[in-house]
Amino acid sequence: MLSCILAAGLGAGAFQPALAQTPAGTTPAGTPIVNTAGLRYDADGTAQSTSSNTVTIIVAERLDVALVRDGQGAVVVTAQPVAIPFTLTNLDNGAEAFVLAASVSPGAAILRALVIDADGDGRYDPAKDHAPADNKTPLLAPGQSIKLLAILVPTPDGGTVNAVLTVTARSITGSGTSGNLYTGAGDGGGDAVVGPTGALATVSVPIGTGPAGPVLLKSQSVRAADGSQNAVRDAVITYTLEARFTDAVTGARIADPIPAGTVFVPGSLTLDGAPLSDGADGDAGRFDAAGTQAGGTQAPGITVALGQVAAASAHTVQFKAKIQ
Amino acid sequence: MISRPMIAAILASTAAVASAAAGPLQVTSSILVEARSAAADGTTRVTLVKPTKVTPGDKVIFVLAYRNTGAQPLANVVLDNPLPRQIAYRSANPGSPAPDVSVDGKTYGSLATLRVRSPDGSTRAASPNDVTSVRWRLASPLAAGSQGQFAFQAVLK
Repeated sequence: MLSCILAAGLGAGAFQPALAQTPAGTTPAGTPIVNTAGLRYDADGTAQSTSSNTVTIIVAERLDVALVRDGQGAVVVTAQPVAIPFTLTNLDNGAEAFVLAASVSPGAAILRALVIDADGDGRYDPAKDHAPADNKTPLLAPGQSIKLLAILVPTPDGGTVNAVLTVTARSITGSGTSGNLYTGAGDGGGDAVVGPTGALATVSVPIGTGPAGPVLLKSQSVRAADGSQNAVRDAVITYTLEARFTDAVTGARIADPIPAGTVFVPGSLTLDGAPLSDGADGDAGRFDAAGTQAGGTQAPGITVALGQVAAASAHTVQFKAKIQ
Repeated sequence: MISRPMIAAILASTAAVASAAAGPLQVTSSILVEARSAAADGTTRVTLVKPTKVTPGDKVIFVLAYRNTGAQPLANVVLDNPLPRQIAYRSANPGSPAPDVSVDGKTYGSLATLRVRSPDGSTRAASPNDVTSVRWRLASPLAAGSQGQFAFQAVLK
């Protein structure tokens, strides 16, 4: 008999709203905004027309980046190299290159390379897909995306500890606190200013140890009051945790912290579509306002005890959280 | 290739604009941004300043300051500001009379009265994003030496 606890917190512990605008239709950095007003009036009974002075401002470069993993769930590293795909998008309103970094915490896998997926097919082709020189991407046009592949191989000594792959992309012009100004560094001779993303994006991917263990897939959807999917205040996020089991286990339990910046929506917890009460009572689930999460930290979270689970089965837990 | 007579014509028209601007109605156009600072009484003071940086999504304030520098009143004064293509109209700035707006540069009115024609021939109510030009009319003659200003808020696309 196996016993297991599934914790969904990996890579999703902190809620990160999608603050950045897409660059589509945004004004390119360096664009002059030129304004002149026209005037008409009658003087001594004669119609006259003229114009105001002309005022010009130069659009600054807003430094923003997005990095997302193409896919979900823990990655299992087998004997063969595994390619984990990512999409890097230049959310800037100017052309920008990005510094890439990738690392794997000690464990089941080591990083062989982070390469640019030249044809974007999600497969590693050593003949075409190369690590960029000095870890810098080529200049990307506003809104342009490229595909990246993190190539992982098993550790030579067969480590079995769960590892985490972390990939980071950072704007070359500058990054850090939103609003930081880089005078004269923008396209077209204007200034560059760090945008809402901080011009820095990080993605973490849990790396599993073997194909036999259970896998927990987490996904989310956002619904705002206006019906949109904008991650704004009071928008409701529905989290879906799907646990897939290959073998029969007992004592299976799903635990997930409520992401920072959100509050649990009371009464929203369900297991396989059936409601579960929030209290620690007879049913399988509960919401704990001061629970102990994986890693021992104290934070609000939900827990669902699955108990005995049949082989080759899947169970789905859902709950809702509201953005504060 | 530009011929010499054409260059002469361009120079002449530039000179004409400069001399017209020296006429009795002076209008100064500026593009400003809001600066917020804490006042001594604990409130937040909003002032309009020249922008150090403007990026897409930022709010900008267009200000037209006018003044009759002549000795005679000026009648039927109209100030007309076609919006730069990269600018989306939002509203009159607080304290400024609301402009008439246009979505085609021909018909002016309040936004609620305007409609936009779609490529398929249907029409829909105009939104601030549709505005291409704003206009103010002075209802009464502008006396010699008097002045005022109009302002509207917009967003950089």
